[in-house]
Amino acid sequence: MYKRLLDRLLRWTLSLDVWINRVYPADFNPLYYTGGLSNLFLTVLVLSGIFLFLYYVPSFTDAYTSVQYITGAPPFGLNGVPYGQIIRGIHRYAADGFIIVILLHFFRNWFTERFRFSRDEPWISGMMLLVFSGFIGVNGYMLVWDQRAQLLVAMTGNTLGAIPLVGGALRSALFGGAGTTNLLLPRMLFLHVGPATALYVLLWWHYVRVRHPKVWPPAVWTLFSLGAVLLLSAVIPAVSQPLASTGAPPDRLAVDWFFLLPYVALKYITPAWLVVLAVVIVVYGLYIPYQLPETHAEMGIRESGIAQVIDANCTGCELCYYDCPYNAIVMVPSPHPGVTRAAQARKLLAIVLESRCVECGICIGACPFEALELPALLEKDVQGKVLEACRT
Amino acid sequence: MRDLPNVTLIQVPCSGFVRPAWLEFALRNGADGAFVCGCPLGDCFNRLGNNLIADRVVQMRRRLERQKIQPDRVATIFFGLHDRAEFTTAVREFSDRVAALPAPPPPAVRRPAAGPASPAAAQGAPAAAAQGAPAAAAGSPAPQAVVEGSPDEGRPDAPAGEGEA
Repeated sequence: MYKRLLDRLLRWTLSLDVWINRVYPADFNPLYYTGGLSNLFLTVLVLSGIFLFLYYVPSFTDAYTSVQYITGAPPFGLNGVPYGQIIRGIHRYAADGFIIVILLHFFRNWFTERFRFSRDEPWISGMMLLVFSGFIGVNGYMLVWDQRAQLLVAMTGNTLGAIPLVGGALRSALFGGAGTTNLLLPRMLFLHVGPATALYVLLWWHYVRVRHPKVWPPAVWTLFSLGAVLLLSAVIPAVSQPLASTGAPPDRLAVDWFFLLPYVALKYITPAWLVVLAVVIVVYGLYIPYQLPETHAEMGIRESGIAQVIDANCTGCELCYYDCPYNAIVMVPSPHPGVTRAAQARKLLAIVLESRCVECGICIGACPFEALELPALLEKDVQGKVLEACRT
Repeated sequence: MRDLPNVTLIQVPCSGFVRPAWLEFALRNGADGAFVCGCPLGDCFNRLGNNLIADRVVQMRRRLERQKIQPDRVATIFFGLHDRAEFTTAVREFSDRVAALPAPPPPAVRRPAAGPASPAAAQGAPAAAAQGAPAAAAGSPAPQAVVEGSPDEGRPDAPAGEGEA
């Protein structure tokens, strides 16, 4: 059932690719670069965020004013920070773009099953990146301290409070005490910047098993994304809501559909159910790579066994090491000479790290010395098939 | 591949798995042409496999040229399993191109016994393979397959036949 659904989704994803490939050359298909695009948006966010950080004051009395000062809103006018409005717009719209492309990245890699074998680690770190990004985004809306921020704080407090036993403690830990205390905004500022740094640690984990990661999109898409963000921030300026009141929070929410979706859900379900839903989604997301323990027959040719190095033939030429897309091959100093003539004088020996091998066989194609084999599909098996095909 | 009866598919885990030597092996053993099919370029399931095999086949074509084998007998075709019609068209084009080539040169005299089965393949009529397994369109995210195409032109691969210049 799930397998059939996944198959259907795979076909839809790939036909979407075909459709886009008709518009763009395949080298520039933006869906092939969702990872690079997220990295681009993250860089833009960090740079514009540093700019905003220089002017932002995390206190109830000054936070709103400092944001108004950055953007040159009414009391300041031309005395505001030059281009502050544009930078703030960039920060806002790049964040929206970021969440869009990481969701695309998530769904695309889910539907094309790129979480098999040892690729579960990029998947897990990717889930964490997703959760962190959402958290940072919501924090950012609280920092402005307008009416929306006040409402968000109230809703978050209610939702956390709905967790049995630890709820109240969690809420005070997050907000620095019961209700809105003076600690709230400094803490939010730290939770906005700190996890953004943690994103880079997680990104390292995301990339560590990947050789030649596509970190940046093609130049065309870099320019297009930057241009789109810049244009949006000029055409639709990012503005604050009115200043937060001291009384009860407002009862309506100005929604950013990309980050504040869970808060919209609060209109329809109780906070307790929202917590349950969030936990289920995250736990299920972490479970996705382990969901299909397929039998050997179902996997067929794709489960050919971990690549084996044939010690006698390996010449230590490093070709497999350079070509392995998952960094699964390391070169070690050769403990003894090889057997064949080419392997006599070798200095290095290739070793396959079994925990990283995805059984794709790319190293077999890379090796000109027949020193690597997939156990379930040996070279002589392939040659046998070729001969059979030629005979009939 | 039911509509292309003279093409046989061999499934492999990833197009990057294919050693160019195997394509040459196929050519030497009676196939008229051989191509590797992989995921669309830029979207390899295993990240880099199709780019690698594309490069390797380009290098191999140069090697074949030196050996007086027409390099057009090997090719790479990159399609996902989502456009079957275009894939079939591409294979048919390749097949027609190979068919239009002049006959291959006689097997090198220097090595009389090329391979264990080569006499059979060489004597046997056109090395055409009736084909089952449209496996390409069924299983994996992209139909990775090394294919030995051999359009049957009714021209026997005579071992000592008309050598083309």
